[in-house]
Amino acid sequence: MVLRVAAFPWNLVAGLVFLALLISAFVLWQKHQVMKWLGGVKAALPAILGFTFLVLLMGFVKQDVEPKSALVKLLGLTHLVKTWPFILINLYLMILLGVVTLKRLTPFSLKNAGFFLNHFGLFLVLFSTALGSSDMQRLRMNCYEDQTEWRAVDTSGKTVELPIAIKLLNFNIDEFRPKVTIIDNKTGQIELNKGKNQFELLDRNALDLFGYQIEVEQFLESSGKVGDAYFPVNEPGSAPSAKVKVTKDGTEISGWVCSGSYVNQPEALKLNETHSLVMLPAEPRKFSSELNINTKSGKNIVTTIEVNRPYKIEGWTIYQLSYNTEMGRWSNLSVLELVRDPWLPVVYFGIFLMMAGAAFLFITGKPKNGGTEHVA
Amino acid sequence: MWLDFPIYASVAILCWLAASGLFLSSGKKLMNQMAAGLSFAGTAFLLVFITILWLHIQRPPMRTLGETRLWYAIFLSGIGLVSYLRWKYKWLVSYSLGLAIVFLIINLQHPETYDKTLMPALQSSWFIPHVIVYIFAYAMLGASSLVALRNLFFAPTEKIVKGPIQMADNLVYLGFSFLTFGLLFGALWAKEAWGHYWTWDPKETWAFITWMFYLVYIHYRFRHPSEHKRAMTILAVSFAILLICWFGVNYLPSAQNSVHIYSE
Repeated sequence: MVLRVAAFPWNLVAGLVFLALLISAFVLWQKHQVMKWLGGVKAALPAILGFTFLVLLMGFVKQDVEPKSALVKLLGLTHLVKTWPFILINLYLMILLGVVTLKRLTPFSLKNAGFFLNHFGLFLVLFSTALGSSDMQRLRMNCYEDQTEWRAVDTSGKTVELPIAIKLLNFNIDEFRPKVTIIDNKTGQIELNKGKNQFELLDRNALDLFGYQIEVEQFLESSGKVGDAYFPVNEPGSAPSAKVKVTKDGTEISGWVCSGSYVNQPEALKLNETHSLVMLPAEPRKFSSELNINTKSGKNIVTTIEVNRPYKIEGWTIYQLSYNTEMGRWSNLSVLELVRDPWLPVVYFGIFLMMAGAAFLFITGKPKNGGTEHVA
Repeated sequence: MWLDFPIYASVAILCWLAASGLFLSSGKKLMNQMAAGLSFAGTAFLLVFITILWLHIQRPPMRTLGETRLWYAIFLSGIGLVSYLRWKYKWLVSYSLGLAIVFLIINLQHPETYDKTLMPALQSSWFIPHVIVYIFAYAMLGASSLVALRNLFFAPTEKIVKGPIQMADNLVYLGFSFLTFGLLFGALWAKEAWGHYWTWDPKETWAFITWMFYLVYIHYRFRHPSEHKRAMTILAVSFAILLICWFGVNYLPSAQNSVHIYSE
């Protein structure tokens, strides 16, 4: 996340050297004015303010884009995490957090538990993310159905060969029922329905939209057009359609609406001079990939991954990232993300310490006696 | 379902207005108890509404700004009542109810439409704890900023300030602990959903800025324990930052293509 250092083992060496320097400096000059100052709230406040200022800049300037002016480029405002002020203030914060943790640990007292959890937890998170960033790999892999893939692309666009090969057995999308809405015939824009629903999900047989009574006579999840009507069809490019009867002020119109696909045209139902009823493309409820994974070490696994349900194997975590959205449910492409993050356990340990610290804050509240007790 | 919202909201608003009136007008114990009862009744009404809504849309009602405002009104009124029962500050419960009413009125002004679809990234067991913990933190911190505003504008002498500032501290500590949980839950969820726990996405950045501002407040209180006015100013500004994080991020140029902005 923050500091950029060389990859393993040099980051580990750098981390150990940093810790050794920090601890020996603390032991040697514990009584020194500067060390006392570094471990106090007097030093903490400006450091927090400085860091907050930099993050505020990130909040206003869009990050990771091409800088628009020479000045923005010079100051590195679009890539703030990679600028020296950001890196140095992170380092400074780590030093402060380290010193203050050591200070409260000697002599050891249970009363300082909350304080220790909050400050050391944050220290550990900053420390491990800084050192781990160079060991982290995030790769994208395009898998086509029934093809085996072992190459992926990293964030800089470089192709990487992996010790695991993945064959996409099946890509599957489960969709919500499509929505219908009313468009203006002249502009083609969706009509705004102030205070009421602009869209209705076709999950029931009778709907009311803009005062139009819509009765769904037939709904086909997957269909194709033959002549003037739609019939159930299950082949690439077939789309949902519905036969509807629309009544308003005594006039009745019936016909088909279809959301269309990358192969078929969508079909709207003209209701009158001003309005038409249209069906929107269905939104995915869930998408998943059935994978056959082979590793160099000889493992062979068949598993299914989906969003929020990645699969872990030999230090890699495989995520469901995307698919060919134009083809939707007929996509034969599944985009996977492969992440290796060997420092993750340390980061998580820091996060759990911080959570325990937050629980302490919740239970004990604001400490008394100027904060020498309990938490902060 | 949102069509019934004006009815529930009106009843809640009436309950809360009556409760505030009773709290502020009389010192009698019976009146205060009635006020507490009315305040609870308003909150209970909204809880009934949100339960029915949840069942109706078949997904947790936590996806849109209007839905989060509804949770906020529930939590804030609840926190106002609990802190009244705990600390007996009647003005705080009245302010909290007032702010909760403002949020309900915003919802009445911007009628919500329901949308049953929920994109796959949000379908996670982290979704509910992440949002609830955050909105609860926001409500706590909102209450603390009410204390701050009162101290800044209605309590000119340091003497009056003393009691409430301790309560502000208490609310900030409670709110901050929930804010920390929300932030860390978000990080753990992000790792599960997107492969990385922190990507400096605009919403993440602003959530972090909010967290930092309250961190500044906490440390400032230790550094300058008797400078109440400035501490209260920091607290008021922190809440403004929180509101940017909650509502403002949607409109910031830096947030185009953010992975998680609330839908309108």
